[in-house]
Amino acid sequence: MKIVIVALVCLSLVKSVSAQQDLLSFDEHNKYIYYQVVDKSGVSADSLKIRAIAFLKFSFPKNKVKQNDAPDQISGTGKFLVLTGLTLVKHEDGAIAYNFNIECKDQKYRYWLTNFVFTPYQRDRYGNFVPHPGIEIPLEAANEKLDKRDALNYLGQTGTFCKLFGDKLRLFMVNGPKKNSEVIKKIVTDKW
Amino acid sequence: MKKKFLLLLLAVSAFTLASKAQDTVKTTSDAPLVVSGTVDTYFKSDFSGHNNIPTYFANENNSVSIGMVDLALKKKVGKAAFVGEVSFGPRSDSALPSGSAGYHIQNLYVSLDLSDKFNLTAGYMGTFVGYEVISPAANFNYSTSYLFSYGPFQNAGLKATYAFSDKVSLMAGIFNNYWNVYSSINSGLTGPGDVSTFGAQLMVAPAKGWTAYLNLITGSYSGTEFDLTTAYQITDAFKLGVNAADFSGPNSSGGFSGVALYPQLAVSKTVTFGLRGEYFKVKNGGGDVTGITITSNIKAGPLTIIPEFRFDNKSTDFITPFTDSNNAATNSAGQFVLAAVYAF
Repeated sequence: MKIVIVALVCLSLVKSVSAQQDLLSFDEHNKYIYYQVVDKSGVSADSLKIRAIAFLKFSFPKNKVKQNDAPDQISGTGKFLVLTGLTLVKHEDGAIAYNFNIECKDQKYRYWLTNFVFTPYQRDRYGNFVPHPGIEIPLEAANEKLDKRDALNYLGQTGTFCKLFGDKLRLFMVNGPKKNSEVIKKIVTDKW
Repeated sequence: MKKKFLLLLLAVSAFTLASKAQDTVKTTSDAPLVVSGTVDTYFKSDFSGHNNIPTYFANENNSVSIGMVDLALKKKVGKAAFVGEVSFGPRSDSALPSGSAGYHIQNLYVSLDLSDKFNLTAGYMGTFVGYEVISPAANFNYSTSYLFSYGPFQNAGLKATYAFSDKVSLMAGIFNNYWNVYSSINSGLTGPGDVSTFGAQLMVAPAKGWTAYLNLITGSYSGTEFDLTTAYQITDAFKLGVNAADFSGPNSSGGFSGVALYPQLAVSKTVTFGLRGEYFKVKNGGGDVTGITITSNIKAGPLTIIPEFRFDNKSTDFITPFTDSNNAATNSAGQFVLAAVYAF
């Protein structure tokens, strides 16, 4: 009984990491990519683009959006932190920079995140974890240049981040940006 | 009972997995409560059979000895952050202010981002001067340089940092009159002193992977030090660091100057070799010393094994005497250190 439970716990741990990692695929340039096409019937390309811009402003305000020649496309760069350690004892282990693209057509949109580059963090003299200047490791080379366990961890966290990015985008594409005129529901206590 | 325990174990595991999925990715600058630290231990053998080289740490000869255990907490919420770091052990004792109060503080400060570019920090902080630090995990070499040993370790005060861009920032601050003290103290060491030391740091990043810090710390109690600290990650495998400093003591009471080079070459993802070449001179006829330290860092996850050879050669008038295995005066000293540092 004991062995079965311990084996189940170990199996679920491994499956959890590999499940997040499996969200990433390779593109034609042999780079990791998270790619999704989503149908959004009844919504024009212009509306979808407005919603995508609102999503970026609200959910990822620090991302840099590039001026793009293609009118139906938004692209740019961003980064997220990867952590190491157990739930209660963890710290920043590095940051992963990425490129994002969102392309809107009538009744559908697609988005992809790619070009993931890991920068390790190191602890400075003030007790902060800060980027190690000059070290940039493409995620595709993580297995060669990093500890295998770390590489697997970062791939897993990248998959998790991409899914989070997509889930938030999907929410904005469904609901649209909140209108300023939207009235906040208030409870009136003098009438009951 | 056994079954209950196993079910509890299963539940805890499931909870850990569930919470892991939620918090492994941070999309904001707000990190969770960050807990980090180090533990270090070493064996040293001085080739003379007794301790010679007078720089800090790794002082116990022919002994498996302990360094320190260091624990740091950090939390940032919005624009406000704190860092509290304590340490215990011989390495900590030799570097921190002594006193009956029994403090063991490495860092204790609060900071506030007034904007994306402007930050205020107050408290007791690791010094901004110099290349090497007390923490064994933040140094490549396990033994320390003369420049580190003679310079400030920590400063208590208030500093403001303005980042003009990612490539240029300027810090200026006022600090307690003496270095390496938790509180100011007068020159007779009988009561409070004042907050009269001025410090400034100009950071420039001229190229990708290259950062340089020009530092100044000056005050009538502790003297004036100019310091250049720079590191350039020239390729993925090769890094070059330089530290140069000049210190003039208060009331023309001497001082020191020196320069150290730190080339490092990563030969695999787990092994890096590094050299420290240092020239150090004590002013007013205090002599000089040259030190060559050859170090390797061998990584095994969070553990770093550090084998290190060091050879120092001094002038006859250098203030610290060296003696050979027969206890006769000599101008050369050498040692081997094998250290292990665990950082989390």
